[in-house]
Amino acid sequence: MTDAVDMRVSIGALELKNPVLTASGTFGYGLEYDDFFDVAVLGGICTKGLSLEPRHGNAPARITETSGGMLNAIGLANVGVEAFCTDKLPKLRERGVTVVPNIFATSVEDFVSLAERLDGEEGVAALELNVSCPNVDHGGLEFGCDPVAAARVTAAVRAATRLPVWVKMSPEAGDLAGVARACESEGADALTAINTIRGLAIDIHSHRGKIANRTGGLSGPALKPIALRMVWELSRAVKIPIIGIGGVSTWQDAVEYLLAGASAVQVGTASFVDPRAAKHILDGLASYCSQRGTTPEQLTGAMI
Amino acid sequence: MGLTWRPDRAYLTGLAVAGTRKPVSTRAMHTLPLAQRDDLGNGYYVLWFDSPAPVAASAGQFTMVRSAEWGVAPLLPRPMSLLSGGSRPSMLIKVVGEGTRRMAEDPMGQPYNLLAPLGHAWTPLPEGHRPVLVAGGVGVAPLVYLAEELSAAPDALAPISLYGGRTTRDLPLAERLEACGELAVTTEDGSRGRAGRVTLLLDELLAKAAGSGDKLAVYTCGPHGMMRAVAERAEAAGVWCRASLEAPMGCGYGVCLGCPVAKRDGSYFYTCVDGPCVDAKQVDWTKEVF
Ligand SMILES: Cc1cc2nc3c(=O)[nH]c(=O)nc-3n(C[C@H](O)[C@H](O)[C@H](O)COP(=O)(O)OP(=O)(O)OC[C@H]3O[C@@H](n4cnc5c(N)ncnc54)[C@H](O)[C@@H]3O)c2cc1C
Ligand SMILES: Cc1cc2nc3c(=O)[nH]c(=O)nc-3n(C[C@H](O)[C@H](O)[C@H](O)COP(=O)(O)O)c2cc1C
Ligand code: FES
Repeated sequence: MTDAVDMRVSIGALELKNPVLTASGTFGYGLEYDDFFDVAVLGGICTKGLSLEPRHGNAPARITETSGGMLNAIGLANVGVEAFCTDKLPKLRERGVTVVPNIFATSVEDFVSLAERLDGEEGVAALELNVSCPNVDHGGLEFGCDPVAAARVTAAVRAATRLPVWVKMSPEAGDLAGVARACESEGADALTAINTIRGLAIDIHSHRGKIANRTGGLSGPALKPIALRMVWELSRAVKIPIIGIGGVSTWQDAVEYLLAGASAVQVGTASFVDPRAAKHILDGLASYCSQRGTTPEQLTGAMI
Repeated sequence: MGLTWRPDRAYLTGLAVAGTRKPVSTRAMHTLPLAQRDDLGNGYYVLWFDSPAPVAASAGQFTMVRSAEWGVAPLLPRPMSLLSGGSRPSMLIKVVGEGTRRMAEDPMGQPYNLLAPLGHAWTPLPEGHRPVLVAGGVGVAPLVYLAEELSAAPDALAPISLYGGRTTRDLPLAERLEACGELAVTTEDGSRGRAGRVTLLLDELLAKAAGSGDKLAVYTCGPHGMMRAVAERAEAAGVWCRASLEAPMGCGYGVCLGCPVAKRDGSYFYTCVDGPCVDAKQVDWTKEVF
């Protein structure tokens, strides 16, 4: 019986129903799924990256497919934190969804303002700091690649909210473990890893970049081995929980991430292929645990 | 020109076609075996699926489609206009890359995932207007569906279809448009119909309508440049015009934000949820999509 398995996981002080979440920017605001499945069954959803003001995003083309993956440069188009709090969050709350707003800013002050705004809202489980967006001119990667800058953002947000703070790691940090330890020591409750890696695709007929921004973040199955390796390294570098992201498309992928040291996973690009992907992964993981008489918590870091 | 448009026909007035845009239906993932594939030549195919749970679609809506057996490449589902819905959903495909190549070659019976129906259908024909369907190449699919919907409607006014292709081999399903009303075609090489672009026919039709005072409603789908030319002419003539937009798509249901098309007000349409069928006047046709 799958429902006999205890699927709950602890991310620091926060308990999640199960370890399957959805990744920021790949699941909208969680309200687009009514026709497909009940999003409240998931461990949680990370929203599209929210900024203080609404953003239109980059000019098209914004996405292109590559071998076993895709590049995107959306440019953090989003409704803004205010519209999120008034239009989206109440509905998510009503449905019992575990909500993790993903926040993005170009300055420490703005990160703090975002955290303060969301701190006052009911129904927010944690905050995910996007210090690793590769697709905007300022702010993103600069914080995520430099341990000092990452620590500054973490400390400031930590002081501004009572909510758990998750910091999303950039795979482009030369010293990933250094950034991770800096965030941990400034009070991050968990690390989520990884964001996309910048890639490039060129149209050989027009000789132009396939996306208008030229470079875009690589996501999907092509990213998985790299992301899995980074999750494994991170889990050895810090004591706080790691949430694994990168190409999780099947329940088997989720098991691998847990074994590598993740306490939970986020499903990203797979939701484009099938909007029910996260639910299928959760169901598959539950029956795997049931069959092996284990739990997600026991699988975490169990790689031999 | 092959066009025999007679504005004095009785059926040109007083018609409102209700029901071309049914209430928003539930989107669902349908896993269906590939039931039939018609080879229309020159890389065009019609794919048919058998769907026990009917796909409650209207003309202009689309589906995100890929085979359940493709593994991780091609990864993303491909947006395709629905050519029909119900228990026998179908689509017209043109082979342009790996995804469509597989659609043209996968064996019968292979399971496909169709997320459908998606997006906004065509806006219903405004009362008293004569429908004019302007198609370019594979963009004909949602217009064939519309023409057939219009002819099934009880008091339907037969559409005038203007259809342009590069050559005579690039006019798939022309006969289905013809069966629903009047059809005039153009080819760039003159191998069928008038030589030149389809806007040539539209210019003539708009001029006639201006003279007779008849009200036209233009529906268009085709390459961006063609739709732009159609939209500009319709606007200049003060004629109602709807276009079915094309954009790269990641998800098809509004979460990836990968499918923007610039609007005149400086913001974007998200083609999959705000379109694909939109008011042509709101589009900033000067901006690129790909
Ligand atoms: C709403 C909508 C409805 C569509 N309806 C139809 C239809 O009825 N029949 C049909 O044959 N095609 C239709 N298309 C286009 C179709 O989606 C693309 O041709 C298809 O995705 C190409 O896939 P591929 O793997 O064969 O080619 P790829 O290898 O992905 O690309 C090959 C070429 O096709 C272009 N392309 C890729 N994606 C798109 C896209 N979304 N739209 C247009 N060009 C694209 C690329 O720029 C490239 O030049 C529609 C697109 C949209 C957005
Ligand atoms: C279209 C798209 C938009 C994204 N937007 C965001 C975002 O707003 N904030 C963020 O932190 N990550 C964003 N990401 C990154 C994902 O959350 C995730 O880290 C990445 O896609 C890797 O996971 P995947 O391979 O499962 O997709 C985005 C990814 C994609 C594909
Ligand atoms: S295709 Fe994903 S938002 Fe339109």
